[in-house]
Amino acid sequence: MSHAMDVLPYAVAAWLFAVGLYGIASSRNLIHLVGCLSVCQSATYALLLGLGYRWGSVAPIFYDHPPGTPAVDPVVQALVLTDIVVGATLTALLLVLTVQVYKRGGSLDPETLRPMRGGRTPDSAPTSGSKAAP
Amino acid sequence: MSPRARLALLAAAGLALLPGAAATLGGLPAFGSRIAEYGARINALVPGERHVANMVSAINFDLRGLDTLGEEFMLLAAITGTVVLLRGRRGEGMTDRAMRRPGRAVRPQTEAVVLACRVAGVLTALFGLYVVLHATVTPGGGFQGGVILASATLLVYLGEGYVGWRDAVRSHWLDAMEGGGALLFALCGLVPMLVGAAFLQNVLPLGTFRDLFSGGLMLVENLGVALAVTGGFTQLFLEFMEETRAADGPEEPGEDSA
Amino acid sequence: MSALLAVLFLLTAASGTAVVLVRDPGRQIFAIAANGLVLTLLFTALQAPDVALSELAVGVAAVPLLFLVALMAVRAGRPEAGSGGDEA
Repeated sequence: MSHAMDVLPYAVAAWLFAVGLYGIASSRNLIHLVGCLSVCQSATYALLLGLGYRWGSVAPIFYDHPPGTPAVDPVVQALVLTDIVVGATLTALLLVLTVQVYKRGGSLDPETLRPMRGGRTPDSAPTSGSKAAP
Repeated sequence: MSPRARLALLAAAGLALLPGAAATLGGLPAFGSRIAEYGARINALVPGERHVANMVSAINFDLRGLDTLGEEFMLLAAITGTVVLLRGRRGEGMTDRAMRRPGRAVRPQTEAVVLACRVAGVLTALFGLYVVLHATVTPGGGFQGGVILASATLLVYLGEGYVGWRDAVRSHWLDAMEGGGALLFALCGLVPMLVGAAFLQNVLPLGTFRDLFSGGLMLVENLGVALAVTGGFTQLFLEFMEETRAADGPEEPGEDSA
Repeated sequence: MSALLAVLFLLTAASGTAVVLVRDPGRQIFAIAANGLVLTLLFTALQAPDVALSELAVGVAAVPLLFLVALMAVRAGRPEAGSGGDEA
């Protein structure tokens, strides 16, 4: 049991990353694909927090415990904390791109994506060039 | 590339990487055996040096403040990109008006829902403020509190309806909060240089350990992060919600009476 | 404590796998929210209350909401008739 526990968190992180990657490669829906990307992201959380944990330590907040009590690693926690919040905004950006792809192409399936051809669709004109030109 | 070929390629790549990954997993220190020296030193020294109880906040806002400045601008860039993509399509003139899809029924909320949302919204906002303000003392800070505050505005949507929400939450205020928060953080870096200190050096009085006003400059940076995250996430919710309303072009009535 | 952490890590692996295997985006949102909740519990058990609070606000509330609204936008906004058709 204890020997398995030595590597279990890292194995879980590796599994999460691999399964997320499999989901990305096999996804037939761009919204589902963004969800799979968030699984890859959670692999980094499990790995980082797993590396920063120590048995019998308290949280690195010395309010109830006096300073000097053995505590877990605060550096990885700071990394993961900011990553969660900033990652959510990036998820939002990806979802917006997905919605735009759907509105232009009419499909959410990455297999049917075509390369974009600039300036030829009627609705792409107001966003860039032709408005500034005259 | 066909899906089958792509999965085969992924499997081949996975198999090729497997020995390396296994060796790395075996080589890592056993889970829970020890922590990195950097973190241990921070735990030992920072409570005395910076008078703050929450080490995570101390790292985010002081020791590695420069990294958080970068994160702050990543946040700003991601949200700006989202807003530009959505508004560029919709037209800037529509930003402050609640759009309504023709043909969609507007159902008035029952009084119980309105009351519950008003009570819960105020409580959520208070909790968010509490989490923001106690950044240096207890778990919390601008990042978490900001998201909680943004969720509190969603309860306005739930209770007062979409139009009431758009009247209460103005888009250009959110722009100002978002950009102003990032500016505040950047100023926290630059202002110490005016008095001859280093970039982001903590020049304010540090306060008493375990006190709400401990940590000096960290409190200002925390406020900047809270402003940016609250403004940014509310802006995201707002623009996303608007996207479900945006009816491009004339719609046939009855087509979308779901 | 060791057994609790082991169970939570295995639950994390299972809920992450569920997010990938649930192919319908409408159902996947629930898997994403459940994954966020399991991660919150894991972070709490790993003595990371700051991270758990952040994951609770972001992973359980904000991100599923964004997915939900994106899905609504896709269902509400049909591609423009005509402009999408002649280009494809």
